Amino acid sequence: MRDRLREALEHSRADYTEIRVERTWSSAVSFRGRRLEAATASEDVGGFVRALNRGCGWGIASFTSLDQLPVMVTRAHQLSRAVRLEEPIRLANVAPQQAEVLLDLDGDVRGVPLSEKKRLLEAYNGAMLAVGGRVVDTQASYHDEVSEYWYVNSEGAAVHELRPEVVLSGTATARRDGTIEKGLESIGLRKGWRSVHDCAARFRAAAERAVALLDAPSVKGGTYPVILDPDLAGVFIHEAFGHLSEADFVYENPQAREMMTLGRRFGKPVLNVGDNGAAVGLRGTLPFDDEGTPTQDTPLIREGVLVGRLHSRETAARLGERPTGNARAISFRHPPIVRMTNTYIGNGRGTFQDLIRDIPLGVYACSAFGGQTLLENFSFTAAYGHMIRDGRVAELVKDVVLAGNLFETLDRIDRVAGDFRWNQMGGGCGKGGQFPLPVTEGAPHVRIEEALVGGDVAR
Amino acid sequence: MSERVLEGLLDAVHRRAEGGDALWRREERTSLAFEAGRLKTAGVTEEAGMNLRVVQGGRVGVAGTTAADARPEDLLARALASAELGETLAVAFPGKVPLPHIATHVDHVANATLDDLTRMGRALVQQLSRDGCQVNISIEREVSETRVLNTAGAAASYQATAIAVTAGLVRFAGDDVLMVYDQSVGADLPNEADLNALVTSIQARLEFALRIATPPEGALPVIFTPGGLTAILLPLEMSLSGKAVVQGTSKLAGNVGEQIFDPRLSLTDDPLVPGRASSRPCDDEGVPSRTLPLIERGIVRGFVYDLETAARAGTASTGHGRRGVFGKPHIDYSNLVLGTRDGEAGGGRGGASAFAGGLLDGIADGLVVGDLIGVGQGNGIGGGFSHPVALAYRVQHGEITGRVKDAAVAGNVYGLLKRIGGLGNDGRWWGSRWAPSLLLEGVSVARR
Repeated sequence: MRDRLREALEHSRADYTEIRVERTWSSAVSFRGRRLEAATASEDVGGFVRALNRGCGWGIASFTSLDQLPVMVTRAHQLSRAVRLEEPIRLANVAPQQAEVLLDLDGDVRGVPLSEKKRLLEAYNGAMLAVGGRVVDTQASYHDEVSEYWYVNSEGAAVHELRPEVVLSGTATARRDGTIEKGLESIGLRKGWRSVHDCAARFRAAAERAVALLDAPSVKGGTYPVILDPDLAGVFIHEAFGHLSEADFVYENPQAREMMTLGRRFGKPVLNVGDNGAAVGLRGTLPFDDEGTPTQDTPLIREGVLVGRLHSRETAARLGERPTGNARAISFRHPPIVRMTNTYIGNGRGTFQDLIRDIPLGVYACSAFGGQTLLENFSFTAAYGHMIRDGRVAELVKDVVLAGNLFETLDRIDRVAGDFRWNQMGGGCGKGGQFPLPVTEGAPHVRIEEALVGGDVAR
Repeated sequence: MSERVLEGLLDAVHRRAEGGDALWRREERTSLAFEAGRLKTAGVTEEAGMNLRVVQGGRVGVAGTTAADARPEDLLARALASAELGETLAVAFPGKVPLPHIATHVDHVANATLDDLTRMGRALVQQLSRDGCQVNISIEREVSETRVLNTAGAAASYQATAIAVTAGLVRFAGDDVLMVYDQSVGADLPNEADLNALVTSIQARLEFALRIATPPEGALPVIFTPGGLTAILLPLEMSLSGKAVVQGTSKLAGNVGEQIFDPRLSLTDDPLVPGRASSRPCDDEGVPSRTLPLIERGIVRGFVYDLETAARAGTASTGHGRRGVFGKPHIDYSNLVLGTRDGEAGGGRGGASAFAGGLLDGIADGLVVGDLIGVGQGNGIGGGFSHPVALAYRVQHGEITGRVKDAAVAGNVYGLLKRIGGLGNDGRWWGSRWAPSLLLEGVSVARR
């Protein structure tokens, strides 16, 4: 393969050419209720070419028929030539990397029969169903893959990787009359078969939570001191702040750049935020991004002040900053764009108890059903919550929806505990039609002095 | 993997399994991206793949591949291995039946050159440009070919074209970020009227958004525009899926024939609308397309099914099976039509009309919702929703008084749709959905 790629590069007439080829073996099992929905094994093969010429834009080509590689190199070049640009695209320098990185497959999933994967998932699905009674429906899914990956570019980079991934998820639906509640569990690892055993208790807990939520009241809408648990705090920082720190958001827009000026104060000195694509053993971790740039730990907010952002080679050159290894594509079907990897709120001090001790009435928002941002506005649905009364965790509440303005909310983070953890879940991040990109989020417990909590969802 | 492999594969299925079907699809996409008013990227995508389903020992299995070098016997072996674990199900594969005629392929879309598409984009950039705003445009043209074969004799094949033009304006003023976008999607190229409607719609919504208004509060009349309706329709789409019926989670399963909603509410799935990108002669399981009433004048009429869900429910597929190269077919809507398509001019995409469909008159105080944040999260099937607004306007005494920023709307669609305040005269396509603006009374509006 490497020779084929080198040969194709040599024949390219473009000033800059890069090629990615991927071959992915995957298997998937899913249950709905007691019923096995599907158990399948798939093979996905394809390539991607991107070409750039002086005074021109990007030409890109993706394809599933690898025989077409030489043709596609030519087409990418022609497409680039067809896009005339007055302001040239420049790429920040990156030393060309040559690497053979075969990540530890941790029990190669390709060697495990489909029937064993089915048995594993059946056990986890069974753990949810065993909660019984009110649990009227479950969904459980298992997905694994091993991806063989090649990247070469005309500057001399040549990377060959073998990447594993395994993702498990479960949803339990509990119902009583017209009331329907859900409990979610999700595990996502850049590992293999050996890493996903002994998870039954987590699935059972999700189903128990769905049942418990049937009796829980909706949180009363209003403004409260809010504690985010590490899972929700991680989702929050990824959605509400992380996307704004992606340099493709600002690099073409002077007003946006002003909004995200380095040195601007975003929060109190307790707030530290970063993105670390080189963290050991996480789902968002890879040695290089999809432009061949080594990944790294990039500080974004240090002691409340904006100090960095995430870059591709193009955005880095445009803003006169250094590439950070954040140009990523979900597959050969897409070009690399600026994305997060493992995004975190840095550890603070003290315990969860320290955060709630002086709160007479507040909300403890836990785990996330989902989150969405529209630039400076965000909305998050916690999977569940508890009221905090007189410094103690009190009754379970549901329909905990946090909404607000990013700038105000970041500035209202006044306490950060010292109990940091990574949230190794499945799913992924979506942007520009590319979903799901494997990412990880991490945080300790975080306190927001005052936040709007929507509840009162009419039923 | 060539399309001829499909026949060979079906022969092998005949020999080694009790039955099965296969889908082969080839897609070629051309895309242009204009960032901040400049064309920056041009791309092509060529993709082909095959999805195979077999029934063996009464059990169903599937396998898929995009590998051009994949051998049919390997694909079959994987499908059979999947069937060994699969559930026992009597899938009723459709036989050889005539398919309705629907034109899905428009030659001049397939033949449009990169220059043609670039010109369209540049014209839009020019029309949309204004001080302090960034114009982003993407144009994507797709030409595809689909073949579905099964062991019961069905053999469908069709070509299709689709073009999607998405345009947006982004405006920053200090920490206030305003995004307004619209799209035009169809099987045919948008004509000048379509593109003008796109521009006018974006400009009108931007113009009204320049002034900021204080949000109102309380149980108020709210107009959901065709693009802002997703949160209202989503719970219905979920409950009208045969899958929810089979799982016992549908809120409407027991209500067929009953008047559940306002008589002005009708919802139809129609894969036979001319000129739409989601129209097709049959679904991805070879079941002939037909127009399917789901809710008629407020009365629940039926649900959408694919082959497997229909088999489990003991009914027939309604032709709503969608499948990709990987995984099993699943249920999906084609063109979802709210109300009737009155005013749709000759297959067009909805022209310029009064803001919010002429529903503003008579509203003393309320909102117009163009877009919400967080739609699709949380517990949709119960009908409850609660979302901050992404783009919304305050209405006072029948006039728009400005954009509302820090507000959220909440309610339950099953309650709200019992009495509709009015349907707008601005029916239009939004992706694969046709809808006018919808006025609902008593929506909970909160500010922060």
